Amino acid sequence: MLEFDGLRKSYGANQVLDGVGFTVQPGSMFGFCGSNGAGKTTTMRIAMGLVLSDAGEVRWQGRRLDQELRRRVGYMPEERGLYPKMKVGEQVAYFARLHGLTAAAASKASEEWVERLGLGARRGDAVEKLSLGNQQRVQLAAALVSRPEVLILDEPFSGLDPVGVDSLAEGLLDQVRTGVPVVFSSHQLDLVERLCDSVGILARGRMVATGTVDELRRREAGRLLRVVVPDAVPGWAAALPGVRVVSEQAGDTLLDPAPGTDDQAVLAAALRTGRVTHFAWREPTLVELFRGAVADPRTDEEVAA
Amino acid sequence: MSAPTSTPPRTTAGTPAPEGPRSPGSAELVRLVAGREISTRLRDKNFIVGVVLTVLLLVGFMAFQIAMSSGADEARLGIVGDAAQLGPAIEAQGEAVDVDVTVVELDDEAAARAAVEAEDVDGALLAGGPAPELIVQDRDSTMEAVVNGAVGGVAVAEQLAEAGVDLSAVPEVQVTALAGDDGNEEQVLVAIIGVLLLYGLLIMFGQFIAQGVVEEKSSRVVELLLATMRPWQLLAGKIIGLGVLGLGQIVLIGVISVGGALAFDLVAVPGDLISTVVSVVLWFVLGYAFFAAAFAVAASLVSRQEDLGTVLTPMMVLLVGGFFVGIQAATDPDGTLAVVTSYVPGLSPLVMPVRQAAGEVAGWEIAVSVALMLVAIVVAVRIGGRVYAGALLRTSGKTKLRDALKAART
Repeated sequence: MLEFDGLRKSYGANQVLDGVGFTVQPGSMFGFCGSNGAGKTTTMRIAMGLVLSDAGEVRWQGRRLDQELRRRVGYMPEERGLYPKMKVGEQVAYFARLHGLTAAAASKASEEWVERLGLGARRGDAVEKLSLGNQQRVQLAAALVSRPEVLILDEPFSGLDPVGVDSLAEGLLDQVRTGVPVVFSSHQLDLVERLCDSVGILARGRMVATGTVDELRRREAGRLLRVVVPDAVPGWAAALPGVRVVSEQAGDTLLDPAPGTDDQAVLAAALRTGRVTHFAWREPTLVELFRGAVADPRTDEEVAA
Repeated sequence: MSAPTSTPPRTTAGTPAPEGPRSPGSAELVRLVAGREISTRLRDKNFIVGVVLTVLLLVGFMAFQIAMSSGADEARLGIVGDAAQLGPAIEAQGEAVDVDVTVVELDDEAAARAAVEAEDVDGALLAGGPAPELIVQDRDSTMEAVVNGAVGGVAVAEQLAEAGVDLSAVPEVQVTALAGDDGNEEQVLVAIIGVLLLYGLLIMFGQFIAQGVVEEKSSRVVELLLATMRPWQLLAGKIIGLGVLGLGQIVLIGVISVGGALAFDLVAVPGDLISTVVSVVLWFVLGYAFFAAAFAVAASLVSRQEDLGTVLTPMMVLLVGGFFVGIQAATDPDGTLAVVTSYVPGLSPLVMPVRQAAGEVAGWEIAVSVALMLVAIVVAVRIGGRVYAGALLRTSGKTKLRDALKAART
């Protein structure tokens, strides 16, 4: 189990992290969301020992992550970094060696990963000659080449085209299937929703929500009822008790029922107007949850990890 | 989307996969970084061209020296008649004026004229009769002087011997040179060339280090590196890797110059040459360690190659200053300026070798100078390591020295 526990960090008067904590199970993917400047990168840098935290620690299988243990962690920094003039294959092998592989094992693993990420033909090229998308793949190869036990990736999907996103997602899911816990940060919430077993939302240095996407949905109010009644007269729902009309357009109506409202009563009212072509609860998307969690400063329902 | 239970976790803590990672120690990490620096430079065409040019320049210089010293003219002189007695006299006379005379015996005047005309000899002396005659193609004052001196000397000696004068009583002249009596001029020359090389190499390798540090910062690869090693390991690897290359280069140059000088007999006292070259090489090691740390630390404060110039200026000023004082020390090795600067860390590697070659420097003076330099190196590496650690991850703009020190503390 990968645990982030009570991380605090301030730069002068600026409190960047104020008790950030969450856990990631082996073989699961954790999506780390938050607006710009929320502290995602700082959290990951603390895990990699690049920033010293004021308090709190990161543990892997109960042990505090130290220099030695970090060698088993694959890391992709937010600012991509590779030696521009070094050849792809040699570069990947170099990072493998820094993670403790022998020369022979490193060059074998480098060859394997470069091939697997579709860069076989570019192995002998300097990194600076590659397209950005391909450089990103080299970066991923550098993170994966040492067969890490844990993956921590800062914005791995940024700057990739849809095909690149799919192949990276596939690569990460492969890792998850072999039991590796994967933490990645992203602004692409649809992607997080699709890939991640659990999600954490960071705002103003605190975790404002963690859990599976379903759990977040259940916890959050904001479920809407969509009713499509093509034959209804405009304003048909206005008189329904305990229901607020969010929007109504040509019979396509979004309703926000107050807690405890009987949805079957709403259905009955709808049927009285004529045909009902659609009647369903609409789950809030992660984007809506995210907006709700991040927008309101009072939503400080911290979920202890 | 959770892990299928059919595939068990591949690794567990404590039991890494067979070919999986072990934890490399400090020494191994430093070696890996050093190895990367060396192999990167060895594949850099500019670096190789630089080394080859330096060696060519050195060989060219030696060839020039050979041409100058053996520029001792050569001459062939034919003698008709009394060659047994005149030959050695002429050769000796020639040596006195730096002309290497080869004596050839000729049969008669006709043969002599033929030989001169065919330019087989530069001149022919008809020494048979009481009136010796020199046959030349064009008049040549040196040749005439050599022959005249020899013929005259032999004649005088003969006449004195006939008169019973004892020639062994002629006193030999003792020579005292005011410019110094131990012939250390060429040693000083070697030291100046050595300091010139040292200066060039220190600047070159200092720049290599600085550029390497900034490259890692500007390409952001440093974040990935520091996730696997500590800043001091990265710093040490860089300094050692490039240091091995620099040392290799100066040793190569030293070996070529000593070998060349000995092979072509360019120096009078080979022992002095070797000791001067060795002292230059040792001073390179000290100077390099100091400046490498200083250049790396300065470079870690900026994040773009364009900003390097400003942060490197203090070190450059120190190096250029040391270089000029070193050259000046060759003419005035015991002057106050040279003596004082030969103790100042940073300047001493460029001044002390010249003083050692040019004048009398006591062993304790060298020891003090080396000790001060070692202290400076330790300080530079320690403070430098902290600044380096504090500044490396600040990849925006220029970091102030004080901020870097503070950041490293937390």
